[in-house]
Amino acid sequence: MLDDERLPSSLEQAVDLLRDGPPIRDEWRSALDVQLSQQVTRRVWHVRPMHAIAACAMFVLFGGAVTATFLLSRDNARVASTAPQSMVRFDLVAPSAVRVSIVGDFNGWNAEALPMRRSGDGRTWQLDVKLPPGRYTYGFVVDGRLVRDPSAPESGSDDFGVPSSVVLVSHRGGST
Amino acid sequence: MTDATLVLAALDGDRAAFATLVDRHAPPCLRFATRMLGNIHDAEEVTQDTMMRVHRWLSRYDTTQSFRTWVMSIHVNRCRTALLQRGRRTRRIVLDEPVVLLASVPSTSANTDLRDAIERALAQIEPMQREAFLLRHVEQLTYDEMASATTAGVSALKMRVQRACERLQVILAEDRHA
Repeated sequence: MLDDERLPSSLEQAVDLLRDGPPIRDEWRSALDVQLSQQVTRRVWHVRPMHAIAACAMFVLFGGAVTATFLLSRDNARVASTAPQSMVRFDLVAPSAVRVSIVGDFNGWNAEALPMRRSGDGRTWQLDVKLPPGRYTYGFVVDGRLVRDPSAPESGSDDFGVPSSVVLVSHRGGST
Repeated sequence: MTDATLVLAALDGDRAAFATLVDRHAPPCLRFATRMLGNIHDAEEVTQDTMMRVHRWLSRYDTTQSFRTWVMSIHVNRCRTALLQRGRRTRRIVLDEPVVLLASVPSTSANTDLRDAIERALAQIEPMQREAFLLRHVEQLTYDEMASATTAGVSALKMRVQRACERLQVILAEDRHA
């Protein structure tokens, strides 16, 4: 009997109705596109080997004391350029977003405290944040929705919690 | 253009190629999640999560296998997780009979009645049976594809589908006579 894969006739009409699924909403698709565009940035940064070479050269020459740019591996890459006094630059590519802010341990996860600015290309949102050395968990609020930095290491599994990322600020003013 | 070709293009940075994959695979994922979870809000959230994971893990996809099955394997897991989370949430809010009655509206057609009845019936059967039934008869996967997507054995899946059919027939019959 288990080899009989036919649907019982009494269920055929009901299953036909189930196959008629809900439509994809435009708003849902737009939100997905925003999320996907943030993930794509990881690839864009990944294919810039000259940045890594330049960063290594600067770090060797100046000991990371003045500025640093890091390009990490493909799976957890994020670019974080820093200036003296541990100024960390956060970048997020979100061309469709209307409002973006950064939240984290350093500002009590307050979405109003650190709004990001849209850069000249109209696609990237940026903000420089001065941070003392330490380990910080953070995320972005994109039009009211908390999202993880797609290009930074995850703070842990996001299956049961809020999505978040981690940035490390060293005593030398570098960050990863 | 095949899914495998689109995947290779997407891995080369072609956003339009991935958008086409989303256009093809998001609707069935949304349909499956809606039937599994019982509401469109959770289904949209889970489907978005699935698409993000598909994108993130695209380089792990083996192009010699079915992309649809690979996507569904991710999606099934996301739905299972959502079901566990939602189960904890909804126990607090469901059992308010007056509100349920106030929210009810008269049905407008026989199809609406039947759709409501089958959705109520689906909600009453075991989640693993519901999952197998939907994958087989709504998403129309083969049993081998279902086994890949769920990591369950074919014979176990056939048993789940058979039991789901039997339960659904009983529940629908009871519903008609209620």
